[in-house]
Amino acid sequence: MKRANIGPFAGILGGSLAAIAIVAGLLPNYWVFLCTTAVISAVTLQSVGVVTGRTGMISLCQMSFAGIGAWTVAWLNVHGAPGSLPLWILIGGLVAVPFGVTIGLPALRLRGINLAVVTLGFAAAFDNVLGAMTFPGQAQFKFVPRPLLFSGDRAYFAFCVIVFALIALALYLLSRSRFGAAWMAIRHSERATAAHGVSIPRSKVSAFALSAFIAGIGGGLLAGQLGTLVSGSFDIMQSLALFVLGTMVGAQHGDGALLGGILTAFFPELLRRLHLPQDLGNIAFAVGAIQALSMGASSSEALRTLLWRRRARRLRRQPSSARTAIAPGPAAMPGTIFPGGHGPAPALDIAGLTVRYGSVVALDRVDLKVAAGAVVGLIGPNGAGKSTLIDAVTGFVNRYDGALMLEGCGLDGLAAHRRALVGVRRTWQQTRIAPDLTVGGYVRLAAGRRLSGGELAQILDWLGCPDPEERIAAIDVGTRRLLDIAGVVAARPRAIFLDEPAAGQSHEESMRLALRIAEIPARFGSAVVLVEHDIDLVRRACSQVTVLDFGQVIASGPPDRVLGEEAVIKAYLGAAQEGLTV
Amino acid sequence: MLTAALAGLAAGGTYALLGVCAVFTYRLVAVVNFAGAAVGAVGTFAMVMLHQAGMPLVPAVAIGLLAGTIASGLVGAVMSTWFAESDAQTKAAVTVAMLVGLIFAGLRVTGGQHPRQVPALFPGAAFSLDNVVVTVAAVVTIALAIAFAIGATLFLNRTRVGLLLRALSEHPMTAELMGIRTRLLSAAIWLVTGAATSLALMIVAPEWEPNFMTLSELIVPAFAAALMGSFRSFWLTVVGGIGLGLLEGMASNLAWLSQYRGGLPFVIIVAVLLWGQRGARWDEAR
Repeated sequence: MKRANIGPFAGILGGSLAAIAIVAGLLPNYWVFLCTTAVISAVTLQSVGVVTGRTGMISLCQMSFAGIGAWTVAWLNVHGAPGSLPLWILIGGLVAVPFGVTIGLPALRLRGINLAVVTLGFAAAFDNVLGAMTFPGQAQFKFVPRPLLFSGDRAYFAFCVIVFALIALALYLLSRSRFGAAWMAIRHSERATAAHGVSIPRSKVSAFALSAFIAGIGGGLLAGQLGTLVSGSFDIMQSLALFVLGTMVGAQHGDGALLGGILTAFFPELLRRLHLPQDLGNIAFAVGAIQALSMGASSSEALRTLLWRRRARRLRRQPSSARTAIAPGPAAMPGTIFPGGHGPAPALDIAGLTVRYGSVVALDRVDLKVAAGAVVGLIGPNGAGKSTLIDAVTGFVNRYDGALMLEGCGLDGLAAHRRALVGVRRTWQQTRIAPDLTVGGYVRLAAGRRLSGGELAQILDWLGCPDPEERIAAIDVGTRRLLDIAGVVAARPRAIFLDEPAAGQSHEESMRLALRIAEIPARFGSAVVLVEHDIDLVRRACSQVTVLDFGQVIASGPPDRVLGEEAVIKAYLGAAQEGLTV
Repeated sequence: MLTAALAGLAAGGTYALLGVCAVFTYRLVAVVNFAGAAVGAVGTFAMVMLHQAGMPLVPAVAIGLLAGTIASGLVGAVMSTWFAESDAQTKAAVTVAMLVGLIFAGLRVTGGQHPRQVPALFPGAAFSLDNVVVTVAAVVTIALAIAFAIGATLFLNRTRVGLLLRALSEHPMTAELMGIRTRLLSAAIWLVTGAATSLALMIVAPEWEPNFMTLSELIVPAFAAALMGSFRSFWLTVVGGIGLGLLEGMASNLAWLSQYRGGLPFVIIVAVLLWGQRGARWDEAR
């Protein structure tokens, strides 16, 4: 287990034990009840954290999922199902999942706010259904019994804390996995995430289904706390209020969810003691949520950013080879990884590629062959169609004509993430790395495969990227561009498109970058297509150059010959001048 | 069956108008406004409370309309002051937060979730077809929805500002640079939709004996209607809203379904989304 993993584990464990000891040992009954409410709310808030906080989608029916969980527990109780409350709660969570999937599937294929609309509709419909029928056992006053071990109020509080801690731990582990990193990346940019080979719909539906599961658990816990349930606990207003509170506190973090739970339980209590109306609480939370949205950071995140900054400063103070810029140093690291590329056939064969936007022809029957192990420069003035070509090959253009082959296999008809998986990767003109990720988390996400710590360190070191534990938000944009490259090479794809990797770098930096790019085929087995305006970099890194102008190939061949051609110079400078020796 | 369906006509007209307002706001200021019906509830309940306090109906309605217009203007002011350049998700989340704030504040001021008697602005029957009565309220709400849709279409297609806005709706800054006073214009859009929503809810509220929350929740069928128009077409939205009202009317006549008719908008939303995702694509932006 890595060093960084232990801190949060110890924090959650210690915090839980302390909470159980203090609350269950010292406080009067009424306060124990309020604390139990706080912890259960924190569990449901974690479900908001998964769907909204982590993945950036708006779900307005989390309390409906909780209602499904609670309903299931009540039903199992009334029908004398085997097992006891813990098992029933688990089943309640699982029953909520298919609802989540069913709602999520139609809403999440498309981008945008569909999920918000459909979940609000579901919450309204659920209200309607719940209003028409009562909870099982409600009429007969058949209480949901607590498990023997946790039957007292204090013991039940401990039980709820354990459930909360387990979920918090699981979510923490998940956030360090490729799966969880993908959610955070989706929140930042769906396109960039798809380019890492992540299926966006599947990832979003899984996040939503998990959130339904957690909310269902929360509902089941509530059934155990209250014994008998009323539909008002799960109505549309509860769902809306939960969303607002989750937005305000930043429920994607365990501490944020806990803060939210405490606010739910104790803020109305505070208002009551001040002889103020208790619903002022929800109005205050609404204002707090708007404030958090305008700052772009929830209250727990504001704290967290402070902490991260301090930590980043500490990391920076440590003398680290990672912080030194690309060193010309020993060119080959021990063991070249893929000598000679994947095979003899052209890695990438683009034939007759044509892209039209309405009446504008962005690419006109472009042919481009990229040999395995080659670094091909793709240059041309602004608007020549270079980025469109990357978009078309990597699957981000809806319609194109022509044929795209990767080592003899057709790419046409494959979705963007499938193309990434079969071996075409890209970077973007503007870096799109989610700022919430860590350096290591990002490269692992981009790699799309198990990456050993040693290999990760090698790649980062090779490009001069910072420590894997450093947070993206704390590093400058120039370094993020290097990280883009670290991500694509870590995937060891067959073909890599680099879209202006040297933009914003100094001349010296881009010369060093040229060396690294030239090394990519030998080191990682990938052919490279380099889109760049920096002609020196192209000259130094590429074995072959293709020039685009107004969507057509106007020249192709070795760099020295092509860059001297009159048509190329004319395309770049608008008139024939002597030589393109920048 | 026809009688039952037509009973939903007034509701359908309201869904249509609220839907058209949602599409209008989305197309012109790029906000999916979840608080769209809540501002109408502000106007309606201002009218109801003033009338119950003894004010004659006409000035109460006038002040109510003003209150709804101002409420909508305030929502718009928050949006364009702090969130003009935010992404669609953030804007929607902000309007959800405002919806929550408005509902809790509204319930507090109007005395909780008890249903309220609302004076009828347009009582009685307009005409009857084959013994089927069509109320004046139904005729007025549908006429309002159609009038709003006509006005919105003309504004977008026939005026210079409308055409420019269509081209630039994603980029308010660009519009500003082109010399359009976007702040003034977006304020006007928020105010107009606020007034229209308030009027529609005042007309139709007597049918439901609503409280502040149930009126605010009318945003759900409104969005269902707007989705049928893909948040683009005013006419499909009008048709969708009226259709939804008629369906609800029919459902209320079927014993096994009537309890659950509140779930209809959800069913429609899911159906429309399933239909709409046939061609899931990367959009051109980003």
